[in-house]
Amino acid sequence: MKKVSLSIVAALLAAVMTLSMTVFAAEPAAVKTVQEGSLNIATNAEFPPYEYKEGDGFAGIDIEIAGAIAEQLGLELVVNDVEFGSIIGGVQSGKYDIGIAGMTKTEERLQSVNFSETYATAVQVIIVKEDSEIQSVDDLEGHKIGVQQDTTGDIYCCDDFGDDMVTEYRNGAEAVQALIAGKVDCVVIDNEPAKSYVAAAQGLKILDTEYVTEEYAICIAKENEDLLAAINGVIAQLQESGALQEIVDKYITAEEAE
Amino acid sequence: MDNDALIQVRGLKKYYNDGAVKAIDGVDIDIRKGEVVVIIGPSGCGKSTFLKSLNLLELPTEGKIIFEGEDINDSKVNVNIHRQKMGMVFQHFNLFPHMTVLGNIMLAPVKLKGISKEEGRKKAMELLRMVHLEDKAEEYPAMLSGGQKQRIAIARALAMDPDVMLFDEPTSALDPEMVGEVLDIMKELAREGMTMIVVTHEMGFAKEVGSRVIFFDSGQIREENSPAEFFAHPKDPRLQEFLSKVLI
Amino acid sequence: MAEWFHSIADAFNRCFIEDNRWKWMLEGLGNTMIITIFALLIGIVLGIIIAAVRSTYDMNGASMKKKGGLSYVLLRIGNFICNLFLTVIRGTPVVVQLMIMYFVILVNVTNGVLVAVIAFGINSGAYVAEIFRSGIMSIDEGQIEAGRSLGFNYIQTMIFIIIPQAVKVVLPTLFNELIVLIKETSVAGYVGVMDLTKAGDKIRGRTFEAFVPLIAVAVVYLIIVIILTRILRIIEKRLRKGERR
Repeated sequence: MKKVSLSIVAALLAAVMTLSMTVFAAEPAAVKTVQEGSLNIATNAEFPPYEYKEGDGFAGIDIEIAGAIAEQLGLELVVNDVEFGSIIGGVQSGKYDIGIAGMTKTEERLQSVNFSETYATAVQVIIVKEDSEIQSVDDLEGHKIGVQQDTTGDIYCCDDFGDDMVTEYRNGAEAVQALIAGKVDCVVIDNEPAKSYVAAAQGLKILDTEYVTEEYAICIAKENEDLLAAINGVIAQLQESGALQEIVDKYITAEEAE
Repeated sequence: MDNDALIQVRGLKKYYNDGAVKAIDGVDIDIRKGEVVVIIGPSGCGKSTFLKSLNLLELPTEGKIIFEGEDINDSKVNVNIHRQKMGMVFQHFNLFPHMTVLGNIMLAPVKLKGISKEEGRKKAMELLRMVHLEDKAEEYPAMLSGGQKQRIAIARALAMDPDVMLFDEPTSALDPEMVGEVLDIMKELAREGMTMIVVTHEMGFAKEVGSRVIFFDSGQIREENSPAEFFAHPKDPRLQEFLSKVLI
Repeated sequence: MAEWFHSIADAFNRCFIEDNRWKWMLEGLGNTMIITIFALLIGIVLGIIIAAVRSTYDMNGASMKKKGGLSYVLLRIGNFICNLFLTVIRGTPVVVQLMIMYFVILVNVTNGVLVAVIAFGINSGAYVAEIFRSGIMSIDEGQIEAGRSLGFNYIQTMIFIIIPQAVKVVLPTLFNELIVLIKETSVAGYVGVMDLTKAGDKIRGRTFEAFVPLIAVAVVYLIIVIILTRILRIIEKRLRKGERR
């Protein structure tokens, strides 16, 4: 019963938030964007289930969240698929309004751009072959690690184990292929895409102990503080309404059902 | 059959384009040791093709070329061994431009006969003395005149101690003032008893040195005689016409 | 202006000095050079073999056909394989060849640099083969006749007489292939190899600076190519000197 009343309160709160947001959105002048009337997002659509190509368009958790933000702000969503390493530069230089690509807030990145509040928590896990001698994070030392170039997994692994032990691939799928081919002994990558890779490929497993836990946020150009505030508002509202969790559940349960 | 014959050619034919062009159309000839056979004829008559087919640089369509008792046109015979015994001198010299004069002469004896470089060099110097070019030993062919090049080419061919020398228009590409120096070397060779087959336009050489002169036309031997008879009393009408043109 | 210089200096510091990131550039440059040089060596060996087979077939095929026999059959098969190889290698992008080599053919080789050397070597072999073939074909037929008339067999004639001359002819073109190859190796990053381009990418991915690392990478390639072009000029000059005909 307690739960029910709680959820009623939550729903009420959400309704209030939605109302206030609608008012917010009614004034598009509140946020300045690169292209009037549009929200240009930069992503790297090779990171399922956060973002990937589907047919002619794009799908994934980040894409849907971006869609929800655009809707709330009364803007049209424009997806730009670029290299992961080019996202921050693009946002910084004013090519895109925001970058949303399963990106973690780091001190280094904060020098170039602002980050929104966390919208999702991701875990970097270790994929190994089923018969691997690597049992846990402690066994990683001295093994060849495959990563997706420029991801947090890449950065952490280079710092922890040295550049020589880390082979950087252009996307996660290639890193997993390299693992299957025996080029590397394990792949360090986000938990969500890891699940889909392991489900799709034969003879792979995810270690029970995670490598690192990180929080995803949206990056926005430093100058555009209005947009930062607006996006933080929408994220809070989506979290309140449960819409955010719905999006995440939709993708993650779908993956597991396969 | 003549037991002295060094080369016996039997029924030699060379056709191009499935027989449409008959460069050599049935040639039989014996060449004896020590003979100097001079072949003359209008250009395009097949005389050069005939000469080149003697050492299989041109592959005959059919016929036999019996050299020192063996048919070298038989596909089972290793012609490379026999070519070592048949020196050849070309119209355009064909010296190896990436080697010195000495290198040109030494290459074949050292690589094919397995003699030492020292021995090869000694022999090459002897040959250079014979062609009066010992001072050019270290020069590259590009630095030599046409006459000098051809004399080196003769020395190169002689370095393999051939049993016969084939000359393919050796003076045709030379400036007139250089023809003499090359012919002198060839006369010297003839005097020493070298068997020679010479395709040339030098009628004087044919008269002076030739044991036999052959008139080649349309891929066939039209006339064959001693030089004196050949030039004094030509029988074939086409030879008569040819001689009237060249002996002005 | 001063502000711009300051920001560039700051970016330079972040891109190369911090965390000793210049070491990535050095490692990348080293790998680029290793891949290029060894690939060209493989390319030259492979190219000579293919060029020899193809030009032998072109020059001797007709006469060997008349004689027939096993050697002609082998030559025909060899020529067919070489042609197929050239068609496939020259007809597909080198990146695709590299990926096939890494993920399909040399699955058991974990050394990415080695895979890149082999893939680029094979690719380069196809181009070098055509360079050599045109070089061999450019040598006067009289040179072959002279060699053969002395009693050298075809292969000896090639080795002692034709190839030394052909090498001189093709040296400038071959050098050009080296210059092309250096730039082509920039896709080695596709198989996880840290070459010069990837080193720049890595710095870009870590610092989110685009200008400084990209320009730096471009400048390093440019310097290498300029040096090689200078050497090429000297070689060409020397060759011309020896040619006074």
